Amino acid sequence: MGNETLDHPRTTSLKPLSRDKIQTVTSDTFARLVLEAEGPIAVEFMSYGCAHCRAIEPVLEQVAEIVKTQEKIFRVNIAIEQELAGTYQIQGTPSLIMFLDGNEVGRVEGPSPTVSSVLTAVTQPFESGAEAD
Amino acid sequence: MTPQKQTKPILLFNDECTVCRHIGHWVQRSAQSKSGETSILVQPIGDDPGILRSLNPDLDIWDAYETIHVVMPDGSMRLGGEAVAETLRNLPNTKWFAWSFATTIFGFRPFQVMLNVAYAILADVRPLFGCESCGKPKVLRPIQWVTKWARNLFAGSPHRSPSPHFSLSSAARRRPLAVSVAPLPQSSHS
Repeated sequence: MGNETLDHPRTTSLKPLSRDKIQTVTSDTFARLVLEAEGPIAVEFMSYGCAHCRAIEPVLEQVAEIVKTQEKIFRVNIAIEQELAGTYQIQGTPSLIMFLDGNEVGRVEGPSPTVSSVLTAVTQPFESGAEAD
Repeated sequence: MTPQKQTKPILLFNDECTVCRHIGHWVQRSAQSKSGETSILVQPIGDDPGILRSLNPDLDIWDAYETIHVVMPDGSMRLGGEAVAETLRNLPNTKWFAWSFATTIFGFRPFQVMLNVAYAILADVRPLFGCESCGKPKVLRPIQWVTKWARNLFAGSPHRSPSPHFSLSSAARRRPLAVSVAPLPQSSHS
């Protein structure tokens, strides 16, 4: 009774940590990597506990791969970076804020977790900016 | 901060999910012996990937939210139905029957398979119990396995048995979301 010793190991083989393709920025690195950086940048304000953020993550990684030559995509974990969330008045997650040369040029809240939707969200603000120029 | 040496299994649960939270608290209560000792630790997954990595460098927070994990003192991990079995093995009130999950018949663990299926169903219907963190309910995986198996059978192609599989991808959690595009006037944060 109560045999707690296992005869054979049942450790599930671990997957490689392939998902963290998007760099997480913190309040310490935000200024350097986002505000002082040149070119288009999209920042996802997210929380790991949020189901919508988990749904959008693989899509965002695909999009990051597609746009990697033109645009950088970062992630901010608002559960830890509450000051940044307050500064940018994040009402819900996931929220994508697009920056061009350090200035906010667009924002999308709760994009649909499809490649086309997220791709549009992270590229459109820069296209309209380019048209205006 | 130096992490303390782990001597007991740790059950990670999604604190945002009502069902998971109730189960987590039940395990926490049940794990306490009369002398006040705890046989298994219960810990919310939380929001800090670094804390999970300190338990096991290979522990991915995305995976932890997708399926139940038990981190063993030796650093190995049990997932899904295996994690449930491990938890039951460590609870004073349930360990008397938890041995059955390790029972092997011709290389097959029937009770563990049943537990895996039960876990898969529970994981899929969690949203029906008011778990906003779990998204919308998915088509029950056992139904998918049987459908796939039957389709292969009738198609005449070599079929695989509908064995439980717990490496759910986040991509499977597709659900329509409200899109609200709210471009703001330019602002500089200097």
